[in-house]
Amino acid sequence: MSHDTTVQTFADQVKALPGGEFLELCYACGTCVSKCMIQQKGELKYNPRRLLRLAMLDMKQEAFDNPTTWLCSACDLCYAACPQEIHISGVINAVKKIAVEEGRVTPIQTAKVNQQTCVGCGLCTEGCPYQAISLVEKKVPFRGMIQVAEVDPGLCMGCGLCSAICRSTSIGIPAENTDNEILDDLWRWMQPQEVMS
Amino acid sequence: MVDAARQPLVDVRAFTEVEKVEGFVGNFKVTLREKAKYVIADRCNGCGACTLACPVEVPNYFEMNLAPRKAAYVPMSQSVPLIYSIDMENCIHCYKCVDACGALEAIDFSQEDKLVEEDIGAIVVATGFGHFDPSVMDEYGYSRYPNVITAMEMERLNNSAGPTAGDLIRPSDHKSPKTLAFINCVGSRDKRYNPSCSNFCCMYSIKNAVLLKQMHPDVDITIYYIDIRTPSKGYEEFYDRAREMGIHFSQGRPSLITEDPETHNLVVHAEDVGLGLVTEKEYDMVMLNQAAIPQPDQNHMSSVLNVAQSPGGWFMEYHPKLRPMDSPTDGIFFAGACQGPKDIPSSVAQGSAAAARASRILHSEEWEIEPTVAVVWPDRCSAETKGRACGLCVKACPYGAVKIEGDKAAEIITAKCHGCGGCVAECPEDAITQLHYTDAQILAQMRALLADKPEEKILAFRCHWCSYGGADLAGTSHFDYTANERGMKVMCSARMDSDFIYEAFRLGAGGVLYSGCHPQDCHYITGQLVGAKRASRLKKIFNRMDMTEGRFRIEWISAAEGDKYARVLNEMQDVLDNIPPEELHEEIERLKPEMSKRLKKFPGVPGVEEAMVYSDKLVKAIASQLEVK
Repeated sequence: MSHDTTVQTFADQVKALPGGEFLELCYACGTCVSKCMIQQKGELKYNPRRLLRLAMLDMKQEAFDNPTTWLCSACDLCYAACPQEIHISGVINAVKKIAVEEGRVTPIQTAKVNQQTCVGCGLCTEGCPYQAISLVEKKVPFRGMIQVAEVDPGLCMGCGLCSAICRSTSIGIPAENTDNEILDDLWRWMQPQEVMS
Repeated sequence: MVDAARQPLVDVRAFTEVEKVEGFVGNFKVTLREKAKYVIADRCNGCGACTLACPVEVPNYFEMNLAPRKAAYVPMSQSVPLIYSIDMENCIHCYKCVDACGALEAIDFSQEDKLVEEDIGAIVVATGFGHFDPSVMDEYGYSRYPNVITAMEMERLNNSAGPTAGDLIRPSDHKSPKTLAFINCVGSRDKRYNPSCSNFCCMYSIKNAVLLKQMHPDVDITIYYIDIRTPSKGYEEFYDRAREMGIHFSQGRPSLITEDPETHNLVVHAEDVGLGLVTEKEYDMVMLNQAAIPQPDQNHMSSVLNVAQSPGGWFMEYHPKLRPMDSPTDGIFFAGACQGPKDIPSSVAQGSAAAARASRILHSEEWEIEPTVAVVWPDRCSAETKGRACGLCVKACPYGAVKIEGDKAAEIITAKCHGCGGCVAECPEDAITQLHYTDAQILAQMRALLADKPEEKILAFRCHWCSYGGADLAGTSHFDYTANERGMKVMCSARMDSDFIYEAFRLGAGGVLYSGCHPQDCHYITGQLVGAKRASRLKKIFNRMDMTEGRFRIEWISAAEGDKYARVLNEMQDVLDNIPPEELHEEIERLKPEMSKRLKKFPGVPGVEEAMVYSDKLVKAIASQLEVK
């Protein structure tokens, strides 16, 4: 009677996750791409419309390899502009979730917790815009069973807000960049021509 | 128009509004408000001297407010009939027009609106469509950037009789633009504004581009589109021609228009879908192809004419494929875009069809209606028995076909009745019946269907137009659904009397499905609402009786939703399968007295007792046949 035996396709998997349900509504008008800051200012291969197509056409590996899966910061500029009212970052997040479940690792730096100093106050869990941090009870060397923050690398976008919030400097993005380097990056982001010349 | 006005049998009433429509097919009484023109029609010869004399200038609506007009004016130079009128809202009462008119003495400032009543046989509605205002879409900057214009404004700018005499100039500096962008689907195919496609804009923007390119071959035109839709004869060829002429087509919906504050040039930001890259191109002028939407007063007209509206607000046709020019009310027809956005060829076709349908009425002595009309037994009406009519039938009727006068019993105007059966089911005294769908007939069918092992059966009430079609489609599509379903057809969910549902459960039915059209699809205007209200009341009652959730189910299923029909019935079967048989039996027996109590009045309905006797015999016959097997 029911069709339990059918193989669940990648598109079905995406649609089954919260945020992914509107996937098939996309008629590829490209509004999201021309709204997107990431595609315009940085990564030309970044293209939400194409990621949605990849997901629709069950092109799983290609979707996982696509930078769109990993770089979307869920700013939702595209959501407000989409004529089909698709929550695009929700779809992208669903793809990312499946990718992480299948063992893919995000290419961006995610936040790490120093379990030796974390006091488990939970400020970072409230501050995280991606709900990537949760408090867990776990056994920490030298400290016993205590509550500490834990980061879900599948959800973390590496924004660093937790690091700014943390009162015991126990969480943050592993410092590869000095403050000056970050400022330089920011400058290049805003004024690409001037930096190049 | 001129030809029509010259036809002796055609009476053109310009500047006139329909106030009220009463009566029925062939016998409408229409009240018209002939607005005061302040010009005596018989005397005006259309010379235009008043316009020349008038010192007042106001924006000209016909020119999309791109040019002025006087307070003494005709809406456009080809107006039919060519009679001037005075715009009293803007008139300063200088009476120069009176002097200019001179010996004709056509101007009369004492005129007032006149109400006229006319006997009308049939009505054709051709009220057209309205335009979406793109200024609500902040990203395109219409009304903020002077050089962003709408397609309708372009239409006037590009017209040799328009305000610029056909010179293409841009509003900011009155120079001729050299690069132009057209943006399609502004406010249409957009769930935030109008989810539907406006039908003609693709062809319309290609037409505008071709016209412009013919007049000004050096102009560079780019059309931004989501999809180009050219579905009719010769349309794709026209699209090809536009491409051959060098008009650029860029697939991708622009997300933003920005303006250079000095030059007032515009930058259109869009992804070129073919390239997969964002393009930011500069144009001298941008034209927005705005969505076609219903007229601003469509809701008002819909209540004046008593015709329903489809989702989106357009007038609803009787049947989208078979009777697209008929309204659900007999004698009222639709022509053109008031029924849904359509282009000129389709509007002409529909207009001709509507005229032919209307003339059929004008040429007949008699008019055939559906035989399933409602009839009142006056002696049962509460007006007779209790001295006061309850009026529930009047409330239920979507067509205003029930009349209650003073303390007399309700009366059905047969010509207006469409046979939904809403009044029949609503009547608490069971004083109304529907021909061919009498209580007795339906009861006899129900009893036959539930004769054998009723606890295993699911009795499905379906409406004639939608859920019956859905069930039919489920069958013809070979969708698997439970064999325990037993279908019953009535004309509308409004006819599904609560007595039928109580009786079905009293007879021991395992489940009852109450199905009909989706609210916006109801073929009896608001019949579904009457049915839906009753169904939700029943649901509450059954919940209070502690009936297992899912045994009584309400679903709205369209004729295209065969899959849904099958799914709903399978889900109901699952509910029944999950109740242990003894428990189900116990529940049915427990509820029987409750159901009987609510059915106390039912056996008194004329014909019902006979039907019960007859169906009991039938049931016995069926049972004995089964034993023989």
